[in-house]
Amino acid sequence: MACPSCDLLYDVAGLRDGEKASCSRCGDFLTRMRSDGFIKLQSYAIAGLVSLMIGCAFPFLSFKSSGLESVMTLPQMVIQLYEQGRPDLAFLVAAFIIALPAAVLVLLLVLSTCIIRQRYYAWMVPVTRLVFHMQSWSMVEVFFIGVLVSLVKIGHMATVVIGLSFWGYGAFSVLFIFAIASLDRLQYWNELDRLAGLQHAG
Amino acid sequence: MQGDTAAARHLASCHLCLKLADASLHHCPRCGEPLHLRKSNSLQRTLALLVTACVLYIPANVLPIMITDQLGSVEPSTILGGVVLLIDMGSMPIAAVIFIASVMVPLGKLIALFYLCWSVSRGRHINTRQRTVIYRATELIGKWSMVDVFVVSILVALVHLTGLLVILPGAAAVAFAGVVIVTIIAAESFDPRIIWDQQEQTDE
Ligand SMILES: [Zn+2]
Ligand SMILES: [Zn+2]
Repeated sequence: MACPSCDLLYDVAGLRDGEKASCSRCGDFLTRMRSDGFIKLQSYAIAGLVSLMIGCAFPFLSFKSSGLESVMTLPQMVIQLYEQGRPDLAFLVAAFIIALPAAVLVLLLVLSTCIIRQRYYAWMVPVTRLVFHMQSWSMVEVFFIGVLVSLVKIGHMATVVIGLSFWGYGAFSVLFIFAIASLDRLQYWNELDRLAGLQHAG
Repeated sequence: MQGDTAAARHLASCHLCLKLADASLHHCPRCGEPLHLRKSNSLQRTLALLVTACVLYIPANVLPIMITDQLGSVEPSTILGGVVLLIDMGSMPIAAVIFIASVMVPLGKLIALFYLCWSVSRGRHINTRQRTVIYRATELIGKWSMVDVFVVSILVALVHLTGLLVILPGAAAVAFAGVVIVTIIAAESFDPRIIWDQQEQTDE
């Protein structure tokens, strides 16, 4: 492989389990060999999707002041932005924090399940490309920091109650990062190549 | 001892699947992505996107990012105004988070990318490794500027007590989201390998 940052050539075929390779010239991360990578990926994807469902289905935060109360859920947040005359913002927020990360996890779950069962289908190649393109636009962790900032920002104005979905989304953002971290580009594509080769041979 | 680069052997490394393929091919034989020895027109494209981001940065700071309607008295606030308000309220840590994410990160990113483009176009070959680190940092921190846009979105949805207290989203939120998106694409169009190409030319 060539270093993505400086193009220097490396032979990383002899890497043992758990070993990590970095570029000696520019320091960029190259790859890490992990035999249980796909099992981990699959578990993080399942757990992440369950927490996202919890994150969307229940009240996220509620706000009480002078006897009045307003309750917010994640889907409602998108609808609210849309209704306040900002469909552009509603679309961006929905895409970055719910739609894209959810699609990434669903596709990673399907792909990792196929790989664990040693199956190869031609559609896995374009689907993987799609996952890598979408993954860089997910902003789950940034959104969760935004939630914490909002809490402090309005905490003094009134009573803010944290709902079940708050914890669900918090868990989702951690699991999403774990899932992406266990997805190694080089190892993934090498495995896909190997499965494709097996299929052609058989 | 340093080995060869892929380019020196006329091999192009796929940016998506990392496969090495003959540089005369137009698409990666493994994943089908467009294949280039170096990203095409990397400098021009990055510069054009940076200028776009700078233009968007003006409405993002001048227009209100959110509008607070408390008992009928309407109060628009800008990004910087929001930071000042937080300092007045004594929430220094949150003011710092918003200031770093909304002011320092996007400005730092613009300056860093302009500097990288300038240093490459001038053919400088010093601090090569540091410049690669700067590049990777701009790639990494880019999306964190979205924090303020998300904060506004949450406040709009949460603080919705009709007649008493309502928070509305301002146009700057969209402009600012635009700045973040355009700078992310600008960082993506920059090819860090061109920083090293020049060093090799001078080494020879
Ligand atoms: Zn390197
Ligand atoms: Zn490829």
